[in-house]
Amino acid sequence: MGFLEKQFQENVLTTKVDWLLNWCRLSSIWPMTFGLACCAIEMMAVGCAHHDIDRFGAGAFRASPRQADLMIVAGTVNFKMAERIKRLYDQMPAPKYVIAMGACATGGGPYYKYGYTVVKGVDRVIPVDVYIAGCPPRPEALLEGLMKLQEKIQTSSVIRKPARTA
Amino acid sequence: MDFQGIYDRLRAIEAPGLEGCDEPRPANAETKDKGRGGDPFCLVTPALLPAFLEVCRDDPHLSFEMAADMTATDPGKDEEHLWVNVQLLSVSKKHRLAVKALLPKASPVLPTTSGVYRTNQWHERECGEMFGITFEGHPDPRNILLPDDWVGAPLRKDYEFPREYHGISCE
Repeated sequence: MGFLEKQFQENVLTTKVDWLLNWCRLSSIWPMTFGLACCAIEMMAVGCAHHDIDRFGAGAFRASPRQADLMIVAGTVNFKMAERIKRLYDQMPAPKYVIAMGACATGGGPYYKYGYTVVKGVDRVIPVDVYIAGCPPRPEALLEGLMKLQEKIQTSSVIRKPARTA
Repeated sequence: MDFQGIYDRLRAIEAPGLEGCDEPRPANAETKDKGRGGDPFCLVTPALLPAFLEVCRDDPHLSFEMAADMTATDPGKDEEHLWVNVQLLSVSKKHRLAVKALLPKASPVLPTTSGVYRTNQWHERECGEMFGITFEGHPDPRNILLPDDWVGAPLRKDYEFPREYHGISCE
């Protein structure tokens, strides 16, 4: 920093572009209002005062996919819904993230064997960033999943680095 | 009225299609009663089910104003018949009646009962898609739960699960 030092007045911070953009993104992940089954009740509990997802900047549940960054697939996905989920995912602006909440969204859950219309994991339809186990997961588990997602966003890079040659 | 009273009344007014009834049995936890629960029921000819229900609804002593439920049962792969079950409820008389009809699996066709009880429209749509029953004269026989292009009747015991649906693997 020797070159830039004392070149500016106070109130100027220097940082990396990647770090700054990632920090912006992970501090305001706006989820989509999207509950499919009983897991959505736990998701609502996370939004309420006791667990308070707003602490992570992710409390602004949007009713439109075009304003959302995160899709929390909370519940059982069936074939009729799967096509709608794909469509909603396509309508979200990038960068977009998906949390598969609970056993059903992760891999079909209790409907794995005899559920004739249940998709055996939402990752067969859209890419998933974080899987949360549980049936349904406790609110703490969803918050843990959100923090995992924040860790993942922290490691992403917007600047394409030149490929290293050996 | 208890079941015997309702049954005697149905006999007295000669309800159309009434074939018989299943006597109430003493409750016994030891016996494994395959195929049905403990409730007594009336057995009705499938083709005359709407006429039978109409009598149940309009008779002043029975006055079943409400069809609480209508569904079907597949007792097993080797059985030749489906069971169609209708649960009737009289709010004013405070009694209930279970009605059953045996429907051959080879030609599962039933006249619609939605002209008698309008609630049965949705129940019949569900019965139709889940058990492959055709309801003749139904005003709106689309699927109610499954996708429109679904193949097969999932609640039949001989149903085969799909390998994939619209490119989504089911394996």
